[in-house]
Amino acid sequence: MGVIEEVFSIDLPVGEQFRIQRCRYTPKEGETSKRISIVSGIHGDELEGQYVCFLLGEWLRANPDKIKATIDIYPAINSLGLDSITRSVPFYDVDLNRIFPGSKNDFLPAQIADGVISAMSGSEIAIDIHSSNVFLREIPQVRIAKSQEKTLVPLANKLNIDFVWVHDAVTVLESTFAHAMNTLGTKTLVVEMGVGMRLGKAYGHQLLDGILNLMAEEGFLAIEPLNVRFPIQSHVGEVAYLNASQPGLFVPSIEHCQMIEKGSVVGTIVDPLSGATLDEVIAPIGGILFTLRAYPIVYEGSLVGRIFGENG
Amino acid sequence: MKRLEILNFKSPNRAPLKVEGFLFGEESKGPSIAIVGAMSGDHINQLYVASRLVDYLRQKEEEGKIIGKILVIPAVNTYALNMGETFWPLDKTDINMMFPGYAQGETTQRIAAKLFQSLQGFDYGIILEGRRDQGMCLPYVKIIKSGYEDIESARDLGMRFIHYRPYSPIETVMLQYNWQLWETKALSIVFGKNGAINNTTSSEVHEALVRLMTKRGMLDLPMFEGYSSNIIQPEYITVLKASRAGIFDSVVSCGATVEKGDILGRITDALSGEKLEKIVAPIGGVLTCQYASPLIFQNSIAFRIASVEK
Repeated sequence: MGVIEEVFSIDLPVGEQFRIQRCRYTPKEGETSKRISIVSGIHGDELEGQYVCFLLGEWLRANPDKIKATIDIYPAINSLGLDSITRSVPFYDVDLNRIFPGSKNDFLPAQIADGVISAMSGSEIAIDIHSSNVFLREIPQVRIAKSQEKTLVPLANKLNIDFVWVHDAVTVLESTFAHAMNTLGTKTLVVEMGVGMRLGKAYGHQLLDGILNLMAEEGFLAIEPLNVRFPIQSHVGEVAYLNASQPGLFVPSIEHCQMIEKGSVVGTIVDPLSGATLDEVIAPIGGILFTLRAYPIVYEGSLVGRIFGENG
Repeated sequence: MKRLEILNFKSPNRAPLKVEGFLFGEESKGPSIAIVGAMSGDHINQLYVASRLVDYLRQKEEEGKIIGKILVIPAVNTYALNMGETFWPLDKTDINMMFPGYAQGETTQRIAAKLFQSLQGFDYGIILEGRRDQGMCLPYVKIIKSGYEDIESARDLGMRFIHYRPYSPIETVMLQYNWQLWETKALSIVFGKNGAINNTTSSEVHEALVRLMTKRGMLDLPMFEGYSSNIIQPEYITVLKASRAGIFDSVVSCGATVEKGDILGRITDALSGEKLEKIVAPIGGVLTCQYASPLIFQNSIAFRIASVEK
């Protein structure tokens, strides 16, 4: 049975506290300083990670004798956001994942970030589970800044995800939880999967297997590694972005996570008022459609999909 | 005065987003300046100052007082202003986090790209900024150390304080940083309380803008001198936090000079009315910023004091 601990708390103005809780699992016998942190809910509109936290907790409760190191589960960092369907920190309208490493001497979101870092620093590994936002649906993937490729790709390959995306990080990403933790020496993986405000059970179970496998291979669990899938690696191809050319209603023509040929129609943008079809979104390359728009209203520029083409 | 359409962006269901600029004077006659107002939907004071400035400059142009070229863009995110939102209403992204913009990117990147294009080539650039927190502040000049900053033009505003500090990573996607990189002497004036108009503050900022334009040769006007600005680095700012949460009551106002030991504010329990905390100045100085909401979180920054000593 895990022990529920409060690692950060701030009094709210009217008879309540903002708090961050974790459930800590430790080996039945012996002590270990080896620690892994499973994190979710930095964005309040991303819920897939909550299900993974539940599944992992359920597994650990059923298998306490398999635990070889400290396993911390943090399902709800932005708890105010999660309970109010708000991506950012309510009241402040600040994206918590753009304020790390935070500060004790700044406003509440920065203090939350600082509290998160304090609670988790010292972990050997952290897994930060995001959904996409409400606009896009994603296949399970890990996104890694190029500067951290060597350290993190081997770990990501153990996570039973579909895609490892190594990208050139813009400086703004230096304000993320993952960057702050990696800078502090905790190998931190960012998982993106599913869509905001929704729950995909299949993805949750897929990632659970990956986390169990990673923990087995890295010495956190006394179990045999699982037989997991090996993800597509982004360095073997290219990612094409599909942006809406017109404002309107985006109607997808194909399902998410499909192989698609160059020149085929990903969807149409239509005008509900006139009944006219305004544009067709055409695949500029062939490959797998690993991102597809889930929220249909689009402006010019709205991202409607991403294709990874293995052969460029 | 020329009324320019900086960008026109169609919407699926509402009237197009139109961003307009007001252009005065001619570049060939003197230096140039661009002033950007509300980029967020809660920057009402910034909108107010910019629109008043347009009206003022129209009169001065009729009087033949404009020498250089002046562009004022009072509002960028009119969609958010019109519906009480802070950021871009569809995806909640902040236009001031999208610079230098990307013409083939997402919507707010495209808006930023078009806006940035219209801001190229100006000698001076001023961003009228609101706060990112629940505070209100004495108007101050914000200059980040990008390697391209120009303190001298900041001094010509004649404002009381210039906050001069290193940039944070997040600021590399903001307008000031990128504008400086593209060789405009860009700075921000941060002032007021979001969502509100303060006439005293607005007048101070208006005068500062006119002073800068006069001193830098864009306006031919007699003008009072302003302050000899104090350049404040972060280590000279004392942050006072509320150790308790509850109802917050400030007993002083921004701009007040305070002595060590002065009571600045009180916090009472929101339910029982119990007096929880008196916030006391640990150092003398000028109160530059205060929390501006009646409900305060534990550890929120209640006040900032700028001092001449650490």
